[in-house]
Formats: sequence, structure tokens, C-alpha cells
Amino acid sequence: MFRKSETTALERRMPRLPGGFSLPPFGLHQWLALIIVCIALWAIGLLWLGLQAGSSWTQGWRQDIRFHVYLEKAESERLQALAGKLKEVPGVGAVRMVPQSETRAWLENWLGGAGEITDDLLASLPGSIEVTPGVKSGDFLYADLADAARSFGASVNRGEAHLVQAQSMLAKAEKMLWFGTLVIALAMIIVISNTLRMTLLARADEVQLMRLLGAGEMFVRMPFLLEGGLLGAGAGGLAWLLLWPPLFAVGDWLTQLDAEVSGFALLLPLLFGGAFVGWLGSLLATTRLASENTTTA
Amino acid sequence: MIQMNRLMLRYPTGKTALSGMTMNIEKGRFAYLTGESGAGKSSLLRCLYGGVRPSSGQLTVQGVDVRTASDGQIRKLRRDIGIIFQDHRLLFSRTVFENVALPLRVQGWKPDRLVARAEKVLEFVGLKDRLWSFPEALSGGEQQRVAIARAMSTKPPLILADEPTGNLDVDTARNVMDYLMELNHQGSTVIMATHDLHLLDTHPGDIFRLHAGALAEELHLVSGNRRRLSGGANDVPEI
Repeated sequence: MFRKSETTALERRMPRLPGGFSLPPFGLHQWLALIIVCIALWAIGLLWLGLQAGSSWTQGWRQDIRFHVYLEKAESERLQALAGKLKEVPGVGAVRMVPQSETRAWLENWLGGAGEITDDLLASLPGSIEVTPGVKSGDFLYADLADAARSFGASVNRGEAHLVQAQSMLAKAEKMLWFGTLVIALAMIIVISNTLRMTLLARADEVQLMRLLGAGEMFVRMPFLLEGGLLGAGAGGLAWLLLWPPLFAVGDWLTQLDAEVSGFALLLPLLFGGAFVGWLGSLLATTRLASENTTTA
Repeated sequence: MIQMNRLMLRYPTGKTALSGMTMNIEKGRFAYLTGESGAGKSSLLRCLYGGVRPSSGQLTVQGVDVRTASDGQIRKLRRDIGIIFQDHRLLFSRTVFENVALPLRVQGWKPDRLVARAEKVLEFVGLKDRLWSFPEALSGGEQQRVAIARAMSTKPPLILADEPTGNLDVDTARNVMDYLMELNHQGSTVIMATHDLHLLDTHPGDIFRLHAGALAEELHLVSGNRRRLSGGANDVPEI
């Protein structure tokens, strides 16, 4: 009935998906959202890698942590009494009196043979007690030890306490990082939601047409939900790739610290985390789509 | 197929688009809705596919009471209706295939059947070779033919056409009308709103002339001749 048409030479061609469908338009808004979400995920990834390195580093010397309590002009009986008092402190694993022979060996090693360790020198040094924290040593171990030592006029090596405090701070940092991750995830959800709202505006005719053809809510929403999820997953994948340059840059330093960091461990969290926030963002964006498809006059 | 009784439609703005319209359109007919601009042709078509709910009166389309139907029933009704718009409403970011296959996807056709069906309907309108083109590469007439192909892709029993020839030249308009007639001969009921009265001579059908939101005249085609059934008031412009 109709004549055949003539194909125009300069026609737009798009890559086709299986089944003959073309990819949805990927414009400036999508690129911007991808970059913003990628940077946010990259920052989160870096922070988690830093925490991973810190934990690995502190775990490396956790078993070597010892507190040393010093008692000036130590008499054997007072030193024994102090050791007994320290043993009663909650969280203490073991208490050991450091013999003078060990102190001598340590001093000789420390001086590197530069001077002679005389008996007089050793005698003038304070009596030393070594305290090993137990498995369940709490945050207040150092304070409790200091209190116990103070009652005998003794003191605790403060530098060693800092090592334990570093672990405690890392635990606090992890909690803050979780909170920060949640806040950034919320921000990413809003960014993706706004991007998809713009997409929805641009494709309002498509949504309207689907409704005129009798499409259900899920049919109308599904392309946008998929797009949000893919956008988030894409940003997550890109952020993971971008984690490697800084990892390589600090690789030697991490090796020196004996801190083990695995970039691969973050692949799935970034990929699926990105997809999840993308999906939530698109769900938020399409909430208003669930309006009535007819108008009451 | 379609029954309406004292149908009224008042928009939230206060404008009354339809006032007490009563008419029946039987299955298998080719019906023209004519009348001046603002007579209520497009509003009536919108009511027929549930795009707007009547304010009062009764409207039944394929057994569905449009006024009281649930959203789900309206969606189901729309799947049985092919709609052709004056401005085509093609998706310009999608290929011809995707445009034609959209109603099929809405109805849950399996993906492997879509290309074959799209090719078949496009072959009818002479655009099989443009399956993978984008609408922007087509002329106005070709775009309207794609819109017709989209409307007929699911073999709907009812086709609504709102000024489908409004933007087309005479020859292309006649071609489009030929095709709508062919769909009617194949069993679809076609209801078409138009200003183009020249087409009524070459492509006969029932005529429902609207004026100021009411039915002014009703002419039914009987054995090739039109028979006046109602209306004919002298204060209404002749077609």
C-alpha cells in the first residue's frame, strides 16, 4: 500500500543490546553523577584502606606490648608487694620482676659497647616490673596500673601506654568511619536521585507514553531502577580502580611498617555498595512516578 | 463497544469540555469525530482511553466503566486500545523498532518475538527497511506511519486516532487513511477525530459531529450511503 522509503545517508547509529534494544541515553548529568559518586566512593575506599593498614600495623606489635613499672630505691620486699598489687589489677595477664642481669644486657645492647655497666650504676637504677596485658585488657588498664604504682611511689612507662591508646583510637576511628560512610552514602543517594530526576524530566514523554500504553508501575520504574543501580556500580568499579595508584605509591612504606593492605578486599564492597546506593537513589527519584495515571476531572 | 450516556467532563480549571453527551459506537465501525476546535473531540478521546475521568454520566468502553474503574482496570483497558496522536509521540531517542515494540513489551511479549512482529507491522506501512533507524531520520509522513504501526502492533480491537492527518500533506494523509481503513476492515473499531472533512468523501464512515461539548449530529453509513440518525439543528455549522 505504501511506497518503500529511501534510507538517509547520515543516520544516527547506536550500539544495540541483545534483542534489538539500544542503551539508554547517557548524558552530561549521568557523567557528572558518575564522577561525583566515584570520588565519594574512592575517598571512602581510601579511608577504609588506611584503617586496614593501621589495624594491621597495630596488630603486628600487639603481642609485644609490655608495661614497665619503675620503683626508685627499690627494696626487695616493696618490689614484691608492688608486683602483687599489680597482679590484682583487672586486665593484667602476667607480672614479672625484671632481674638485674637482664637490665645489664639490655643496657649493654642499647649502648652498643660504648661504656662499661658497673654494679654501682645498676644498683642506682630503679627496680623494674614487667606487666603483660591479658587478652581482655580494657581501655583503663594503663590508668589502673598507674594508680596501683602511685600508691607505692612508683611510675609506669608512659610511652608504652601510647601504643595501647593507639589501638583504642583505631577502634574509635573505625566507628567514626562507619558513621562517615553512612553520611556519604546518604549524600550519594541524593546525588543519584537528583540525577535520575533530571533524567525523568528529560524522558517524561517516554513515561507518559508507557502509561498511555497501559504499563504498570514496575514496568515504568524498572529502567530507572536499573540505571541507578548500574550508575552506582560503575562508580564503585571506577573508584576501586582508582584506589590502586595510591596503594602502589605507599607500597614500600607499608612494607616497612609490616602492614598488610588488600585492595581486592574492597572490590565487592565498592561494587555492591555503589549499586545499592544507586538503586536507593533511583527508588527515591521514582517515588513521585507512583502517581495516578488518570486525572479526575 | 462504546456506550455513553449524559457524559459530562469538567476540568479542574472550571472549563466544561463535554456536556451531556450521549452516543453509542458499535464494534467494527469506522467513526469520525468532527467539529470545530474546542468542540470536545480530543477530550472525548481522552475519556475513551481513561486519560481523564468523566465528571458525571456514564461511559463504558469495552465493558469497562471508565468513571469508576480502578487504575488497574484502566491499564488493562489501555492495552486493548491503539492510540495515534497528531504529533506522533514517538520516542526520538529510540529506534523505530523500539517504538513499535513498546506496546508489545508492555503486554509482556517475549523478546525473541518482538523483532518479527515489529518487522511485520512495519512491512504493512512500508517501513520495514527502517527498523533500526531513529525517528529523526524519517519524514513527517513516515513518522506517522510508524505511529500507526505502533498502534496496531498488538492487534487492538479499538484504535483511537486524534487528528492523525493534521500535519500531513494531502497524498500522505490519504495513505494514512487507507491504512486506517484497512485496519477497520481487519476488524478493529476505529474512532478518529479530524478537521479534514475532504477525507470523509474518499474514506466513508459514521460521523459524529460535536459542537460545544455536545453531540450535534450523527450520520451513520448504511450500504455506502450516510443516514442521518439524530441532530441536524440549524444553528450548527454544516460539515
